[in-house]
Amino acid sequence: MSSTVKKIKKTSMLKKLKKITFEQPIWLFILLCVIGFSFSSEYFFDLNNFKNILVQTSTIGLIALGLTLVMINGNIDLSVGAIVALSACLAVDLQADFGMFPAIIIGLISGVVLGALNGLIVWKTGVDAFIVTLGAMIGIRGLVFVYTEEQSFFANDFAFSDMGSSSIAGIPTLALILVGFAILVHFILAYTIHGRNTYAVGGNRQASIDAGIRVGPNIVINFAICGFLAALAGVTLSSQMGAATPNLGRDFELWAITAVVLGGTKLTGGVGSIVGTFGGVIAIGILRNGMNLLQVPSFYVLVIMGVILITVLFFDRQVNMRLEKEVGR
Amino acid sequence: MKKTIKLTAFVSALMLQIGAAHAGMKIGITQNNVGVDSYQTTYDKSIKEAAENASDVDAIILDAGGNIARQIAQVQVQDLIQQNVDAIIIWPTNGQAIVPIVRKANLAGIKVIITNSNIAEAGLEFISAFSGPNNITQGKYSAEMMCDALKGEGQIVQISGQPGYTTAMERQKGFEDRLAVACPNVTIVETQPGDWNREKSQRVMENFLIKYDDIDGVYAGDDNMGIGALNAAKAAKRSDINFIGATNFAVGYEAMAKGEYYGSVYQSPVDDARAALQTAIDVLNDKSVPKMNYFDTPKITEVNMWKFTKPVF
Amino acid sequence: MVLTMTKLKNEHGLSKPNEENRLARAALNIFARQGILIVFVIFLIGFSLFSERFFSADNVIAVIRQASIIGVIALGVTIVVIGGNLDLSVGSLLSCCTVLVVDLHDILGPFQAVVIMFCAALVIGAINGYLIGYLKLNSLIVTLGMLSAIQGITLIYTGGQNVDIQNQSDTWFTFFGRDYLLGIPVPIFIFIGLGIITEIVLRTTSYGRKIFSVGGNPTAAIFSGIKKNKIVFSTYLISAFATACGALILGSRVMGSQNNVGQGYELLVLAGVILGGTSLIGGSGSAIRTIIGVLILSFIQNGLLLLSYPYYVQWLVTWAVIILAVWFDIASTRGRLFTSY
Repeated sequence: MSSTVKKIKKTSMLKKLKKITFEQPIWLFILLCVIGFSFSSEYFFDLNNFKNILVQTSTIGLIALGLTLVMINGNIDLSVGAIVALSACLAVDLQADFGMFPAIIIGLISGVVLGALNGLIVWKTGVDAFIVTLGAMIGIRGLVFVYTEEQSFFANDFAFSDMGSSSIAGIPTLALILVGFAILVHFILAYTIHGRNTYAVGGNRQASIDAGIRVGPNIVINFAICGFLAALAGVTLSSQMGAATPNLGRDFELWAITAVVLGGTKLTGGVGSIVGTFGGVIAIGILRNGMNLLQVPSFYVLVIMGVILITVLFFDRQVNMRLEKEVGR
Repeated sequence: MKKTIKLTAFVSALMLQIGAAHAGMKIGITQNNVGVDSYQTTYDKSIKEAAENASDVDAIILDAGGNIARQIAQVQVQDLIQQNVDAIIIWPTNGQAIVPIVRKANLAGIKVIITNSNIAEAGLEFISAFSGPNNITQGKYSAEMMCDALKGEGQIVQISGQPGYTTAMERQKGFEDRLAVACPNVTIVETQPGDWNREKSQRVMENFLIKYDDIDGVYAGDDNMGIGALNAAKAAKRSDINFIGATNFAVGYEAMAKGEYYGSVYQSPVDDARAALQTAIDVLNDKSVPKMNYFDTPKITEVNMWKFTKPVF
Repeated sequence: MVLTMTKLKNEHGLSKPNEENRLARAALNIFARQGILIVFVIFLIGFSLFSERFFSADNVIAVIRQASIIGVIALGVTIVVIGGNLDLSVGSLLSCCTVLVVDLHDILGPFQAVVIMFCAALVIGAINGYLIGYLKLNSLIVTLGMLSAIQGITLIYTGGQNVDIQNQSDTWFTFFGRDYLLGIPVPIFIFIGLGIITEIVLRTTSYGRKIFSVGGNPTAAIFSGIKKNKIVFSTYLISAFATACGALILGSRVMGSQNNVGQGYELLVLAGVILGGTSLIGGSGSAIRTIIGVLILSFIQNGLLLLSYPYYVQWLVTWAVIILAVWFDIASTRGRLFTSY
C-alpha cells in the first residue's frame, strides 16, 4: 500500500515540475543560463551586474509588457519602435520650450494617442492589426523624421540624463520602473474584468461579441496601454542617453515580440501572461549580458540569439503537440 | 543590426603584465562605424596598430556601428563605469547627441578626445582636445575646385553626408560659404543626403538626373558617394558633369586617372588615427595640447595627383 | 452576401430598396474591387499634373528599374504568403547574397560567384522550409530568428568590412544590374519576366493550385492528399531563389556592398505584397497584383521626390495608402464600410 502512495506522490510532484517547465519553459532556460554564465565568467554572479541587466533590459521590457496585452488580445503591434523614437524626440526637444516634466508628459501622451489610433483603426475597419501597425510603423517613423528633420539633439537640462542613471535606495530608478509596471500590468491582466475580457477577445473574437463583451473598446484600450508603455520606454531610454535621435527604436519591435513569444504568449491570442513575458525579457537580458561578459564577438551574438529563439520555439512546439489534436496547422 | 568588435586586453590582462606598474595608460576608443566604408576600416586598422606599437598603452577599441545609442552605451557602461579608463577617444556618430555622456565622462575625471568629426559647440567645454581634419577648410577647397572646373558659371547639385554628422555639416557649410564668395554664378539647385553610402548616392544622383536637364557639377561629401554619383551619370550617359569630392578614396583616385573625376581632398585615415592616439597620450602625459589639432589635407586633382600615392582604402 | 451601405438602413436595421441604393451599390462594388488600381490612377494623374517630368519615358523606366529589386523579392514572398505563411528573413538574405556574390566575384570569378550565391540562398530557404513546413513552427518567429542569424552570419563572413569588385567595367556581371536590352534596363526584364512566369505557374499548373489550397484550407488540402509539408517547404525555396535574383540585380548595380544593404527590405516587400491585394491569411493572391502593389509604392516615392519632398514624407503617404487600400478591399468583401461591433 505504502509503495503505491509513494508512487502517487512521486508522480504528482513530477507532474507539477513538468507543468511548470512545459507551460513556461523559459524559466528552466533562465536557470540553465544563470548556472552556465556563473561558472564561465566571474563577473556574472554579482549584485551590480544583476542591477545592470535590469536597467539594460528595461527598454525592451516595458515595450514587451504592453505588447503582451495586445498579443493576448489577438493582435500585434509593430509600431512600438517608432513610438519609442517619437516620444523620445518630443520629450527631449520640447524641454527647452516647456520644461522637463511637461515635455515628458507630452511624449507619453503621444504614445497613448497613437496607440489608441491603431486600436481604433483595427476596430472600425477590420483590417488586421499586422497590417495596421505595419503601416503605422512606417508612418510614425515618417512623423519622427518630419519633426526632427533628420537631426539628433540632446537635452539642454542635464537633470534629464542624470535621472536616467539615478537610483532610489540603491536600486536603479529604471529597474524600479520596469518592475513596478510589470506588477501593474500583471494585476490588470489577472485580476480585472478588462483583463479577463482581453483573454476572451483574443481567444475567440466572435464568441466575445456574441457574449456581449464590448470588444471594440477593449481592443482600443489595450493598444493605448501598449502605446503608453512604448512611449515610456522611449522616455527612459533617452534619459539614459541624455539625447534623442530619429533612428531610435529600430528593430525594438522584433526583440519585444521575441521576448513575449519566448515567455509563452501565443501569436494566435488568448494565451499568455506577464510573468512569462518578464521571463522572456530577463532571458534575453541575461543572454546578452552573459555573452558580453564572455566577450563573445557581437556578430556571433546575433546568430546565437536567432538560433535560441528558434530552438525555444521548437521545444515549446514539441511539448504542445501532445496537447493539440489537430490535423495540419 | 550593427554590433561591436571588442578586441584587446582588459584589466586582468593589464594586471598580469609583468613590470607594468602605474605608467600604463588605459585608453578606450569608440569609433563611428567601422564597416561603413574603407576609410573607417583603414582608420580602425591603423589605430589598432598604433596602440600596439605605443608603449604603456592599453587600448580598448570598440565600434558603435553607426548607432549613436550604442556609442553612448559604450562610453557609459563599457568604458566609463566598468573599466575606469584614463582617457576616451570618441569618433562621434552624432555630434549633438554625444554631449551629455561626454559631460558625464568629464565629471568622472576622464579625459575625452574627439577624433575626425567634431562634437557640437555646446560640448567643447567638456573635451580635452579635438584631433582631425579641418572640414570647413575642406569644404572651402572643394568650392575652389568647383569654381575652377566650371570656370565660374553653372548649375550644380550637392550630395551631403549623413544628416546630423558634424563632418557632413561642416563640409557643406564650408563649401556653400566659399562658393558664394568665389564664384557667385555657380548655383546649387538641390542638396540631398547620401549618408556616406555609395548605393544611396547613386539613387540620389539618378533622381537628380531625371529632374534636371542641366547639371554641370556635383559636389559629394566624400569620394565614396562621389563615385556612386559618377556611376549614375555614366549609366545615364551624361558625360559632361564635373565631380568634386572630399576624402579621396582609391576609387576616386582611379577615376581621376581616367579623367572622369575632377578633384578631391586628400585625407589619410592613417594620419587621422595616429594623430588621435598621439593627442590622447600627450594629454595624459600633461603636455600642453591645443584644443583643436588639425592635420593637413591638401587638394588633389587630375593635375597634381601624381604627387600623391594612391590611397590604400 | 448582400451589399449594404450602413447609412441606407432604416430604423430597424433593414436596407431600403430603391434607386439610390442600387446605384450606390454598383459604384461601391466597382470601386472596391478595383479600388487599389483606381487610387493608383488618381495618384498618377495628380503627380503628372504637378510635375512635368513624372510621365517622361526616362522617369517611368527609372522608377520601374528601381522597383525591380523589391519587386523580384516580392514575387517570392507572394508565393509564401499565398501558402499561408510569412517570410521576414528576405532582407537579411538579400544582404547576405549581395555580399557573397560581390566578394566571390574577384576571388572565384563571376560565374562561380553567382552559382555559389544561389546555392547558399537555397540552403537557407531549405532551412526555413524545413522548420516551417516540416516542423510546423510559427513562420513569423522562425523567419524573425533567421533574420537575426543570417545578419550575424553575413557579418562574420566579412568581419564587418565592406566588399568591393575591382575593375568594375571589365566584367559581364554588369549585365544584370547596369546593362540595357533593346533600350530597356535588364532589371526590368528580369522583374517583369519573373512576374509573368510566377503568374502562369500560379494560375495554370497544379502546383500553383496546391499552394492556394494549402494556404486557403489546409485541412481540406491534407485530406485531399496534398503533401502540405512539401508544398510549404517549396514555397520557401522559391522565396529564397527570388531573393537571390534580387541580390543578382543589386550586386550588379552597386558592385560593392555594405553588410546591411538589405536591411529594411522585408518591410517594403511586405507592404508591396499587401498593397497588391494578397491576403496575409493565405489562400489568395496574384503575382501581377503584387507587381502593381510594388509599382504603386515606387511611383509614390518617385512622385514625392520629383516634387522635392524629402524621402521620409513618402513614409507618411505609405502609411495612409496601405491602410486605406486594404480597408476598401475588406470592406467590399464583407459588404459594409465599418465593422458591426
